[in-house]
Amino acid sequence: MQTVLSVNGLTKDFGRIRAVNNLALEVKTGQVFGMLGPNGSGKTTTLGMLMGVVNPSAGNFTWFGETPTHHVRKKIGAVLEHPIFYPYLSGQKNLELNAMIKQCPVENIPNVLELVELTARKDHKYKTYSLGMKQRLAIASALLNDPAVLILDEPTNGLDPMGIAEIRDIIKKIAANGKTIILASHLLDEVQKVCTHFAILQRGNLIHTGPVDEVGRGTETVEVNAEVDNLNEILMEFSGTSTITKESGFYRVSMRDGFRSNDLNRFLFDRNVVASHLVTKKKSLEQQFLDILSSNPQK
Amino acid sequence: MLHLLKIELKKMRDYRTFWVVCGLYFITIGFSTASGMEFLKWLASFIDGFGEELNIDRIPLYHFPDVWLNLVWWSGLFKVLLGIMVVISITNEYSYRTIRQNIIDGLSRWEFIGSKMLLNILLSLMSVALIFVIALITGFIYTPEIQWKYVFTDMEFYLAYFLEIFEYLSFALLLGILIRRSGLTIILLLLSSMLELIIKLNVDDYFPDAIPFFPLESITRLVPFPFYRYAFMEIQDYIKISSVAIAVGWTVIFNYLAYLRLKKADI
Repeated sequence: MQTVLSVNGLTKDFGRIRAVNNLALEVKTGQVFGMLGPNGSGKTTTLGMLMGVVNPSAGNFTWFGETPTHHVRKKIGAVLEHPIFYPYLSGQKNLELNAMIKQCPVENIPNVLELVELTARKDHKYKTYSLGMKQRLAIASALLNDPAVLILDEPTNGLDPMGIAEIRDIIKKIAANGKTIILASHLLDEVQKVCTHFAILQRGNLIHTGPVDEVGRGTETVEVNAEVDNLNEILMEFSGTSTITKESGFYRVSMRDGFRSNDLNRFLFDRNVVASHLVTKKKSLEQQFLDILSSNPQK
Repeated sequence: MLHLLKIELKKMRDYRTFWVVCGLYFITIGFSTASGMEFLKWLASFIDGFGEELNIDRIPLYHFPDVWLNLVWWSGLFKVLLGIMVVISITNEYSYRTIRQNIIDGLSRWEFIGSKMLLNILLSLMSVALIFVIALITGFIYTPEIQWKYVFTDMEFYLAYFLEIFEYLSFALLLGILIRRSGLTIILLLLSSMLELIIKLNVDDYFPDAIPFFPLESITRLVPFPFYRYAFMEIQDYIKISSVAIAVGWTVIFNYLAYLRLKKADI
């Protein structure tokens, strides 16, 4: 896989505050890369440096193996923080202007407007758009040059549940076309639903990076129920059981390392107990995130 | 380069304020320069003896080649309107944050500031063209006897006029880049001549030779005040090379500082 972005020792100081500290990252082709972190952890500053609007204090990065110039930025589609357009221009005119800056054909405009379902409102002024429409226009603008990489920063910020679902669908649609996406968010659920890889930032430090799949590995939790009275005692006898909690009609069994849900199922079957409910609960990204944050106490 | 100018014009084409301010500028200049004789007649109509002691038809306000310097000097007074327009155009980019998105989308910082400079050049050229046309028409109307050797005399004032407008707009652009807020920038732009005057008054006692080197002074010194000549006084009816050199120097400094500021800023 080709390296799209390689970051090395990137640092940004705002006066005495270090917003980003010695960041090193690699993003490869086709990844949907999530950048997680609480508000103020340096996500937007990092993306600002990668897009040439914030001057790094130290360190460097390469896009597609090249030292970054404004020509490279034309191959990237990016929305940082919130949508930015000329309020007195229509959506269509704003995109025409963007096409001129990115030096890409205006023929792409109808396609991207169609993708984000803004065709009907394209001739209205940008300032009359709702927040969801503004976000969608921003995504349309980012896709205008058919970019090799798409950077989205909090794309669902401030949207209602329907708007969030719409944006998420668009991101999935784009990712399905094999585009590399870098997605900054503080919403864990969002990252888990769409990302293949993720990194966690805390106070400007990179404290974790890896594939999202691995999050589910390690210790498992299994929800069990069966039509027997002493299920609790039977479960206690299983050698893979670490702890048991009773929760809304189920027994939630935390497994020891090396034991899986099928081991538990076999054990119950051997004891002539047939489970009426058996669900493997992967450890959620949220749990993992909190674990990682708590194992990196704030200095 | 043409590409950058097209981007800038695309931003302005649907911006109503731009058309209103530019429209006011060109209409005010157009009408006020073309109606000088009417103004004199109006003065004569209620000031007793104005028309008798002084035959207004004999004031060669619009005679070739006087007309060139007269109109150029007069229309230079209105450049503040264009200056305000330039301030609005640059501070809008900060308040809408579109400067950030322009650079994210692939303009270099140099290209961004370059597109603003190109707009300044275009506005300056349009002012020159407008005054040239008005002066040519009024000159032909009012000059009693057209002598071709005088018609195109004193053309160098148009170079000075262009420089005057462009230097002023460069100054406005720099202020906008430094301050970033439209209201405050416009107030400072309007006050800057007065602030410079206060400094000049204090400096004048000690280093009178330094006065021509002040930035705003260098703008006003390009085109000399012409109307003294009708009070039988000698006037400077040429452009000083030293004035041009100082004005060009400041123009380069204004634009370079604007670029330097933008290059180093986090936006």
